[in-house]
Amino acid sequence: MIRRHAASVLPGLIRVAPLAALTFLFLLPILWMTTTSFQAGDKMFKLDTEWIPAVWHPENYAAALAAAPFARYFLNSTIVSSSVMLGNVVFGTLAGYGLAKFRFPGDRIVLLAILGTLMLPLEVTLVPTFLVVHALGWLNTYQGIAGPLVIDAFGIFLMRQSIISIPSDYIEAARIDGAGELRILWRVILPQCRPALAILAIFSFRDSWDQYLWPLTVVTVDRLRTYPLGLVQFGQDYGNPPTEQMAVAVMATIPVFLLFAVLQRSIRRGFGLSGLK
Amino acid sequence: MSDLSSRIARGVRSRSATRPRPLFRLRQRTNTRLWGVAFILPAILFFAVFKYGPMLWAIGLSFTSYDMVSPPRYVGLENYASLAGDPVFRETLINTLVYIGGSTALITLVGLSLALAINTRVPGARHCMTLMFLTNLMPIIAVCLVWRFMFNPYGLVNQLLHVFGAGRIDWLTSSATVMPAIIIVTVWRFAPYFMVVFLAGLLAIPSDYYEAAQIDGANAIRRFWHITLPQLSPIVYFVIVVSGLLCARIFLMPYIITDGGPGNATRVLSMLVYETGFSYLKMGRAAAISVVLFVISLLFTVGQMHFFARSEETFE
Repeated sequence: MIRRHAASVLPGLIRVAPLAALTFLFLLPILWMTTTSFQAGDKMFKLDTEWIPAVWHPENYAAALAAAPFARYFLNSTIVSSSVMLGNVVFGTLAGYGLAKFRFPGDRIVLLAILGTLMLPLEVTLVPTFLVVHALGWLNTYQGIAGPLVIDAFGIFLMRQSIISIPSDYIEAARIDGAGELRILWRVILPQCRPALAILAIFSFRDSWDQYLWPLTVVTVDRLRTYPLGLVQFGQDYGNPPTEQMAVAVMATIPVFLLFAVLQRSIRRGFGLSGLK
Repeated sequence: MSDLSSRIARGVRSRSATRPRPLFRLRQRTNTRLWGVAFILPAILFFAVFKYGPMLWAIGLSFTSYDMVSPPRYVGLENYASLAGDPVFRETLINTLVYIGGSTALITLVGLSLALAINTRVPGARHCMTLMFLTNLMPIIAVCLVWRFMFNPYGLVNQLLHVFGAGRIDWLTSSATVMPAIIIVTVWRFAPYFMVVFLAGLLAIPSDYYEAAQIDGANAIRRFWHITLPQLSPIVYFVIVVSGLLCARIFLMPYIITDGGPGNATRVLSMLVYETGFSYLKMGRAAAISVVLFVISLLFTVGQMHFFARSEETFE
């Protein structure tokens, strides 16, 4: 019994080894970030990386939080990214539903025009978008940081593709049943596209959480800075050890990974990977 | 769900029982149409204000000289002419194109290879996929800082290479290795995302194709060339177009890891837009650079629409 077990495990291990090694290689930077955040400041560039610190320095985290107003920066990022996520989920669903299940003159042109905005990321329209936000009086405000990201063609397209596969008979039946359009959206459409919603939520949150260039352009006061601006400034200020930068980087990583952990199952279904056991 | 099906059944019954008068139905259809428009309207208005409006404004501004203090002054094609004669702009444009080309090719290649490796379904493959996907979720600023430290002459990359007997490489300070370094970070960041896209494509290929080929005695390489690759070709096309768009807008990686250096070896167009517009307050010239960046993105977007139109045809 034991021998048979060993015989079946060993070849399995050999088959797994190459993929496991590859995965480990991909994870190295994340592991390095984590372990470095617990190192003493002068250990950074010793010729051998100490993967498990001989002496742990969790005080790097407290020191970083004390050295700059990172609590405030993270709060700002959370406010902005949550708004962007909410905006994308709400308006992405509305527009996606409208494009998937309603026919009206020019619907195809509207669809292509929305897809076409993919060629106009903020990096391309930076100068005039800044002028628009300036004209709206939104410089140094939350709505200025979040505004241009609140709706994105990616989300609309994702929701359209997901809703289009829901049989129209369901909608027609509910309509004849006297259900209002918003009620149909809420009760018939939404329950069927949870996987797409999960993908939209994680990607819109991450995209906003990652923004650097745009906040850099519209924010000039410290109290509205998002954490990436704060972290770069922190790295440029003299005397802040890299280990503390890594501590902030770890803290910035945790919310996104947590969100992913919560939504993981739906995300995998949304990608069409449920066939992979 | 049972609630839904009973309601559908009721709906079907009531439809056959009481047919609404034609006039009423016509009005109802117009009403429904209006709802459709109402659902899309916020997005249309938003894109008019934050996408198409700014783009037209950028094109207009690119023919002016504007410093945000005095009103824009029309200068015709002067901005474009001066860009064409500017060696820094030319170098930046070439860098951007080299970066897009190199990254897109490698992202596609590595993404596909990873998907094939996961699809062998060895035990634990699913967990490997989930773990690799984390590289795509890590905050990009953290990615840049970590890799900047790892590319240090005494950093982790050289330590690993040292194990394999390679000499020390000055990744970020030598103009020969700095662009490859940025491309390595890009591939590390994006390949696992496209791995997932490829994997979905691989799972959608009917397994009888492979069974039939196996009966005919086709080996793994022939199966890959004659079944997998042709079946996957729309996905390959999609990945190239989307990753090209992603790479065209790259800003933070070169900005944080090298600040465009050494010299201008990793300066890309988006960095030039920011510097010209917001450091030197030459908004007209910055807008002209944006238009060049826009044209590059436009080429990829046309590719994407082409893909979209083709996939809609097969869908319908």
